Amino acid sequence: MERKNFLKAFAVAAAAGPLILDGCKKESITKSTTTTGTTTTTTSDSSSSCVVSPTETEGPYPYVGGELTNPLNRADITAGQTGVPLTLTFLVVNANDNCNLVADARVDIWHCNKDGYYSGYANQGGGKSFVGQTFLRGYQLSTTNGAVTFTTIYPGWYSGRATHIHLEVYVNNVMKKTTQITFSETISDAVHVSTLYSLGVNPTRNANDSILGDSATDLANETVALVGSISAGYSGSHNIGLAL
Amino acid sequence: MYKAKIKLVYKQVIDAQSESAFEKAIIQASYQEFLLKSQAYNLDGKFKTFSRMKANDGRANSLHYKLSFSVLHFIDQLNNKIPVLKDNLGNKLAFETAAFELIESHTEDVQLHKVAINYQTETLMLIDFMGEYLLLTKDNPADNEPALTFVIKMQPDLSIATYQEIVEEAGSFK
Repeated sequence: MERKNFLKAFAVAAAAGPLILDGCKKESITKSTTTTGTTTTTTSDSSSSCVVSPTETEGPYPYVGGELTNPLNRADITAGQTGVPLTLTFLVVNANDNCNLVADARVDIWHCNKDGYYSGYANQGGGKSFVGQTFLRGYQLSTTNGAVTFTTIYPGWYSGRATHIHLEVYVNNVMKKTTQITFSETISDAVHVSTLYSLGVNPTRNANDSILGDSATDLANETVALVGSISAGYSGSHNIGLAL
Repeated sequence: MYKAKIKLVYKQVIDAQSESAFEKAIIQASYQEFLLKSQAYNLDGKFKTFSRMKANDGRANSLHYKLSFSVLHFIDQLNNKIPVLKDNLGNKLAFETAAFELIESHTEDVQLHKVAINYQTETLMLIDFMGEYLLLTKDNPADNEPALTFVIKMQPDLSIATYQEIVEEAGSFK
């Protein structure tokens, strides 16, 4: 039902309210109903009473496009940002259960744009504010195959950090993993000197990064192998191992 | 003629007792997000309130901006009109930016979830104070041209965010 029709119908029901209440005041109500040619008579219990059902809001406040789910629940997080296309597939697996795939895990992802800016932040240098914007952020629930795939652009970088993407994973609304991923520096360097990217090579190398570089083993497990090219874009798959 | 360039800021405080559909949506969405995102600053689950999380780990202040993403789409629907602030003719004031703020919350009780949206206007020209009223215009007309003005009463939760005095040119001093 369209909202305006719903409201009309509600207005009629509201107008009928006092009549219903009057009916309830009677000592006994005799109601006849006709069903396919037969007539039955029902007499109510004289001690019964009824109330008009409370009215509540029709449900979640719809989002801007009328959808009932958060628009950040999306596969394409590009939101108008330009850059080398990047497609990332994550498989959520349970390391405590033979690496079986985990369905319905919420995977949140966010990263900076080609110029090193995050949406939602002001005061990132350069005098630019991106408060009120949601580019390069999103989340999805893993499928029965434990997979989520995001379409985005290859991140740029900002001073002091290696090139990276943030991830958070929730299972049954409980945070199970906060992590970051990075890529081969050969690819990152090539992307960052390509036409669209103005920053040049990131001087903070993966191994020197304060977060990714604190463990060579961790860095290896956090480096996602990519295939593709600057013109065609890159894609890769990565396992997110949880200990459930 | 003009005293200053100013920006007004209005703080709309929203909690579980708020009644409009917009306010209920803000509470619902931001509380669900709080339950998820606050876990990063409460790994052992021993803190119940945002205040305790902040006291334990200052990075919990990231929740202001992390939660903002869950409500931006509702704010978009306001079409840049502050929902509860009107001038003396009943016209809603326009805002330029809206910043989400988590005031307090509790992991086990949505009734204690309280947030605010701080709406900031574009730059306005302050013509005069008249007691508790401000005479303002968005225009910057040439001399001897009338300006379209509006009047707004100073009230709780309304403040002046920025103030830049307009200095008369030397030749105009008497």
